[in-house]
Amino acid sequence: MCPAIAELVPDYIRAFEAYTPSRPDPVLMRQYGVDHLHRLNNNENALGPPADARAVIEAFEPPRSAIYPSGDCYALRLALSERFGKDPERFLVGNGSCEVIASVIKAFCEKGDNIITADKTFAVYEWVAEFSGFEARLIPLSNWGFDPEAMLAAMDARTKILFVCNPNNPTGTWWDKGTMERFLRGVAGRAIVVIDEAYCEYVDDEAFPNGMELMERHPNVVVFRTFSKMYALAGLRVGYVCGQRDVVDYIRRTHIVYSVNSLGQPAAAAALADDAGHILATRRMVAEAKELLLPAFDALGLKYVSGAGNFVMVETPASDSLIYRQLMRRGVMVRTMTGFRFPNWIRVSLVQLPAMRDFLAAFGEVLQAVSTGPA
Amino acid sequence: MPANVSPASPLSASARPQLVLELQADTAYLPVAAAAAENAAQVYGLDRGGALRLALAVEEFFAYLCRHAGREEPIRLTLAHGGTFASADFRFRAGEVSLRALNFAASVDLSSMDADNGDEAELGLLVAGRTTDRCGLTRSGPDVFHLNAEVDREYPEAEPISTPQHLAAPLRLEPQPAAGALRHAALLAAGRYPARLRPSSFSRPERFADMVAWGQYQALLALDAAGRPAGLICWRASGRRAVVFSGPYCFDPALAVETARLLTEGFLSRVARTEALCAFSERPTADLPRGWFENLGSLTLHGAPADAENGEGPEQSEGVDQPAYYRHLREDAGAAIWAHPDLFPFLRREYDRLAFSRDLLPAEPTDHTRLAAHSLLATSLDRLRGLAVLRPLLDGQDFAANLRAHVEAIQAQGVGDILLHLDLSEPWQGAQAPALAACGFAPRLVLPHAGASDILVCQHVPGHS
Ligand SMILES: Cc1ncc(COP(=O)(O)O)c(C=O)c1O
Repeated sequence: MCPAIAELVPDYIRAFEAYTPSRPDPVLMRQYGVDHLHRLNNNENALGPPADARAVIEAFEPPRSAIYPSGDCYALRLALSERFGKDPERFLVGNGSCEVIASVIKAFCEKGDNIITADKTFAVYEWVAEFSGFEARLIPLSNWGFDPEAMLAAMDARTKILFVCNPNNPTGTWWDKGTMERFLRGVAGRAIVVIDEAYCEYVDDEAFPNGMELMERHPNVVVFRTFSKMYALAGLRVGYVCGQRDVVDYIRRTHIVYSVNSLGQPAAAAALADDAGHILATRRMVAEAKELLLPAFDALGLKYVSGAGNFVMVETPASDSLIYRQLMRRGVMVRTMTGFRFPNWIRVSLVQLPAMRDFLAAFGEVLQAVSTGPA
Repeated sequence: MPANVSPASPLSASARPQLVLELQADTAYLPVAAAAAENAAQVYGLDRGGALRLALAVEEFFAYLCRHAGREEPIRLTLAHGGTFASADFRFRAGEVSLRALNFAASVDLSSMDADNGDEAELGLLVAGRTTDRCGLTRSGPDVFHLNAEVDREYPEAEPISTPQHLAAPLRLEPQPAAGALRHAALLAAGRYPARLRPSSFSRPERFADMVAWGQYQALLALDAAGRPAGLICWRASGRRAVVFSGPYCFDPALAVETARLLTEGFLSRVARTEALCAFSERPTADLPRGWFENLGSLTLHGAPADAENGEGPEQSEGVDQPAYYRHLREDAGAAIWAHPDLFPFLRREYDRLAFSRDLLPAEPTDHTRLAAHSLLATSLDRLRGLAVLRPLLDGQDFAANLRAHVEAIQAQGVGDILLHLDLSEPWQGAQAPALAACGFAPRLVLPHAGASDILVCQHVPGHS
């Protein structure tokens, strides 16, 4: 008998579960019998892209689709170089920062190596490590935040990368300058430290450490940033890694060229050009949403965790997957947190007030339904 | 690994010792198959009696397959160490003609079963598997079937610990409990919870610890401030997409609420990023925290024949309502399911109550003239629990009669609890409602995502056949 396909597959792939993205909105709307859907599940910026990026997208001429993009995002790297005052060779752009996560792991890990991150954080670090056959050491959060001492204690000679999500998705906690500095001294250059700053533009605080500066003193630091969150270009998939030149050179060897498309590159560059007003408006929208939601959660007697970022996590008195279905029936899509190892919590993106009010109204009804319904 | 590091999704079970034979479907090989089974079973830790029981089942299954399986390919026999049991798995292709014979109730002539004139060649698989602890038929490809048998290793029974425990907060989780701690916790649970609410291995604690060591169960322990066991929850895979759990077991009633919550949360965190789509309760205790699971309904279970006292058959004993709790570990994208319109009122009520979006598509029984003569039902039989689960594999003109024959044959084996699982992604399965009702099956539970789509669990109502 010839081998079953499964017998051709390594153990760590057979054991691994592929991520199932949610279905397209129209499909979900039909399934749940609703005529609108508030997308509060992916931490997207509901304001949409900054004006300059919008103009670039509108001006995109279809014939350009026939031509390959810049294979190494030449112009976008120049724009980043100018913005951050660093050599363009120190930036490596990917199809979303998710792609560069894979590139970094491929560049530094070999059989028997491990990576360290938190148990309750963005899942992709852990996933990429596992489906590549590397051990992911998951350190429990402490007081909702990454635990620097426990991460250091978990290091051994085979630890190649530590992933710190700062601010953390989904808790919004972040390490201040002192904590980060102590942690980096503890690592003492023994492994790469990835600081994922996907939500850094939402933080307006002197004490927040800027990874772009840290890497100048700590050459083992690399920083991830993305255009998906604050810059509202999630659909175009642009993210990047920045580090010391030699570090980025190694990562580039494992990275697919031409992975960032012709529309995403100039749109991202344009988004950077004039972003101050956009950032202020987004932060204002997030603050207003919090002012509405947090007192409402208090009034409902619900525990929540709200830190930096355009999201808030709230504990629910019933299974988060049941709350999800009930909210979907009312045209509101949130993220269940069981997959983040926070069972019975949901995460809600913070957007404009009308959508937040719709969410609250639906949420109130759902809480009523689950409290009067059967156990 | 430092103790505070929680493991990510469990690595696939490390390779288990096994012996694989490829045998021509020829009874000349019967002694080879039986001797291999007996020998391997002893290597895998069964005593002589257990090894003989496995050997006997292998011999009878193999003889049966020689008569009925397709001959193009050899039969593959895998004898494997299951940790606390030894198993034999026959993988084979069946030609069209012989499918009928794979029905566990096939060829069983009930009237002649206890008479000595029972022609050996006519014994059904149900009888062929009588020396096993568990046996069953599954299908892994359009034409590929597996017939498997398991015999358990013997373990000593130990006295449950029922002395009251006075524990001290704060509690913490032990994600990778050592064997000694597991044995202790199993006995504490056995001392506080009735038999039907705990795995039978709790009163044979070495067996329980071995089951965890071999990955048959996963377990989390709660410890008190002084490191004493405060509670236990355990779970196992059920198919590729689901886990079923038992517990939570809490050892000090004064701390039960905190203990149960800690264990439940820990359990869900552990299964959350694995391939499991959903968690079902197998033996839920009253300590299960409110609001963490959805109540799917209940089954009425009578238990193993040995549980029924005073010579009462299981079908007469009253039965205990066992609630079924459920939790989806993902976001539901909605689905379509097929069912006979007779089932719509039940399904609509359940889907609405559980807030599942489902398009109900009407499925009518296939016209008899377009069906093959014979249907096929897969049976899995757990003699220790007195439980049989039937799953329709192929439709046929004789579906209703075949189902009735299965019920009778299973009851004749002294097994009183008979469930039937319909996979509602298959129109022909959903369409069987009238045949099921006529045979005494009533719809009891919808198990979302438990099969290719949702599974409808029907239960045979005792006294009806
Ligand atoms: C912490 C964090 N890092 C990275 C990403 C991925 O972003 P991208 O769209 O750039 O792949 C996300 C998106 O949710 C995130 O939350």
